[in-house]
Amino acid sequence: MNGSLIGKPLAALETPALVIDLDALAHNIGVIADHYRHRRIRLRPHGKNHKSPQILAMQVAAGGTVGGVCTAKVSEAEVFAEAGAGNVLLANQVADAAKIKRLAAIAARVETTVAVDHPAQVERLSGGAAAAGAELGVVIEVDTMMRRGGVRCLENAVALAKQAAAAPGLRFRGVMSHQVPTARPPSKAERFAEGGRCIERVLAAKAAIEAAGLPVEMVSTGETWTYDVAATFDAVTEIEGGSYIVMEVPYAYMTEFRFAARVMGRVVERLDERHAIGDVPIDAIGAPNGPPTVEGDAGIVAERIDHHGVMLSVPDGPSLPLAVGDTFFLLTHQQDITMNRWERYLGVRNGVVETIIEAPARGCVH
Amino acid sequence: MQRPLEQPIGSPWERLDTPAFLVDVAELEAAAAALAGRCRIEAWVHKTPAIAQRQLAVAGAKAVGIAVRGVAEAEVFAAAGCQNIRILRPLVTDASRRRAAALAQQVHLVTEDDGVPLAGAESLAAAVSVSAQVTSTPEPGRAITDCGQKAIGRDFGDPQVLGIPGCRASAGSAEHGVLVFSPEVPGFAIGDPLRLAPADVATVFALHDFAYAIAEGRLAAIWRIAGRGMFQ
Repeated sequence: MNGSLIGKPLAALETPALVIDLDALAHNIGVIADHYRHRRIRLRPHGKNHKSPQILAMQVAAGGTVGGVCTAKVSEAEVFAEAGAGNVLLANQVADAAKIKRLAAIAARVETTVAVDHPAQVERLSGGAAAAGAELGVVIEVDTMMRRGGVRCLENAVALAKQAAAAPGLRFRGVMSHQVPTARPPSKAERFAEGGRCIERVLAAKAAIEAAGLPVEMVSTGETWTYDVAATFDAVTEIEGGSYIVMEVPYAYMTEFRFAARVMGRVVERLDERHAIGDVPIDAIGAPNGPPTVEGDAGIVAERIDHHGVMLSVPDGPSLPLAVGDTFFLLTHQQDITMNRWERYLGVRNGVVETIIEAPARGCVH
Repeated sequence: MQRPLEQPIGSPWERLDTPAFLVDVAELEAAAAALAGRCRIEAWVHKTPAIAQRQLAVAGAKAVGIAVRGVAEAEVFAAAGCQNIRILRPLVTDASRRRAAALAQQVHLVTEDDGVPLAGAESLAAAVSVSAQVTSTPEPGRAITDCGQKAIGRDFGDPQVLGIPGCRASAGSAEHGVLVFSPEVPGFAIGDPLRLAPADVATVFALHDFAYAIAEGRLAAIWRIAGRGMFQ
């Protein structure tokens, strides 16, 4: 069935469909590659954002990366490692013995590093790695603003680093953090100021650990909104980047990147002069932060979206310029939530399907 | 795609790899038995042939068939043996009408409102939960789990923590759940299991490839959510 889609124009596709603009995708990958290629800092592409070893391979081939991947889950790491990723950072905490066993199996295949923020995780990881005869790299996650995982004080960072450095099966490697901007949208000055403050916090942990006599080889921090901020800090070794790959509406201020993912829908019912129903259900795009944005300058909005479709309207216009059967395009407000609803994406160039992009890590939440 | 659990049938829910999507069989059957009057079961909610078969078996003659959203979902349930299927979404392309016509050769296919009331969407709520594990206890009154929006959904709001008074789930993020609790709650240790109720049942079925049938707290069967992602 997929083979028959190649060469078809967009208008001939069944809907809803997740379409990837291959030129925009290549452009986004190129922006990061160009920025990092001649610097010491490297991109660690985040697999949670695209779920696709095919897209990871494009990121790595473009240059400026660590040659590996970052994931949020062990099962995601399995998919990327089996597909040939050169190294893995699991940027999350793992406490479960069965998951640690699987992580150790990945470590037997490729260099694998995992984030910790509590002595119990270090103990369990050490036990699992030693039992499997594997070596797991360990970074200390440092909370910089999100109040998720991550140590809250330097003393804990140092204590964990010492524990990891002495633990059988583990290799202490460094520190990591993740942060998002509070101002939306931030000016460039705000972005550099806030991003810089966050990065200084993770670097303070690095300094404290080094002062305790342990070398820190890895400083991994995230993500798209600080890709250029992080590059101004010599001590940062890599940036976890994911949102830039297909982009999302709240990141539109990062104008160097283009929107590469759209959910294409079709009008199935005209309600009145100003309203119609489109065939994109909420589960095909995800809307944890409100309805998606309708692409284009016709003033069309997604008034609401539910499991049966999306209601399109023109709040400021006399008439909705869409007839039954017409297509429309939705832009997501949270791209990784959207990508995770689709098993495969249609790669489109010049309005024609050129390739099918498989996303085998979709749904890998374990 | 998710891989099915490694744990054997009979495992208690607390031992299943988290976040595990749990469907309580007794609650599911009770909801199907409680359906009042002639109806069509909204199978688009769960997208799971094994669940439709149970609902139809328990509801008996009351349920004339199922309702789905588009042709692709109808094809999944037809392949699993459902004989009477209504497609709710209008068919506006030639391709979708051709597929529907082919399907109509195999099953009784309804593409207009036939007057049979739809039922079953709300009644699944009591049967559905997602298990989680505490992965981090970074500060007093706060714990982090491995059950984020990609495992339980947030399209219709935040989940609820089951069985722990004084503890609520805040928005969390795509990959993490965040538990916030008052000082009188004993607190959590890393590795502790818990269960959460989603704000919307259909969203969870749209996220997972497998649902785990639970009978008396133990894994009874693994159900493929074969209609997940069948949007067209």
